[in-house]
Amino acid sequence: MQKKLILFILILGLVLTFSLVQAAPRLTIPETEFDFGFAPQNSKLTHTFWLHSTGDDTLKILRVKPG
Amino acid sequence: MLAVGDSTRLEIIFTTHRYKNRISKQPRIETNEGQPDKTVKISADILINPDSTYPVVIKPYKLNISQFGEKIRDEMTFKIENVSDLDLKPSIIDIASEFFEIKLPGTIKAGKTIEGVLKLKKDVLEKAFEKTFTIEFNDDAKSRFTIPVQRSLRLP
Repeated sequence: MQKKLILFILILGLVLTFSLVQAAPRLTIPETEFDFGFAPQNSKLTHTFWLHSTGDDTLKILRVKPG
Repeated sequence: MLAVGDSTRLEIIFTTHRYKNRISKQPRIETNEGQPDKTVKISADILINPDSTYPVVIKPYKLNISQFGEKIRDEMTFKIENVSDLDLKPSIIDIASEFFEIKLPGTIKAGKTIEGVLKLKKDVLEKAFEKTFTIEFNDDAKSRFTIPVQRSLRLP
């Protein structure tokens, strides 16, 4: 009985460790391109992209670098 | 920080300055997901002369709905001339919908000019902003036109 309990705890520990190792943030962007078409000079064009956190850990957006 | 399953919006502002012709930009989003960074891409065909476009000519090409007096200015019109020989159907494919709405007819007959209406949302009447909307037409090239909308405030 004691051996079974130890084996169960070991397996549970392995499963938990494996889960923690696998946890990772993931950024998913459904639409990655937008074409404004024709637009005038000296204007500000705006477009909104959606960002989704689809991993199994918190996603941190550190910064956005202009292209 | 975005919890698992959450979403957020990323607004890209592209200033066209005095660029000419086709321009693309590819901002990079750095996260704790690691390398490589994810990217989004925006492109535009910058017009030097907005009065000679095809298949439509839009006037004015920049909509300025600024508030300079007491009378609330929340609506303005603009014209779209179909300079092609085909009837065209306009579709609004992108709009800052928290700021305004656009009313257009379903079809613009060949050679005809229609009037579009820009109507501001009540929540933004006391805000200054610069936003855009994009119209796509059903010609072979699926021509798109992005129209800037600007509102400044100079209240008495």
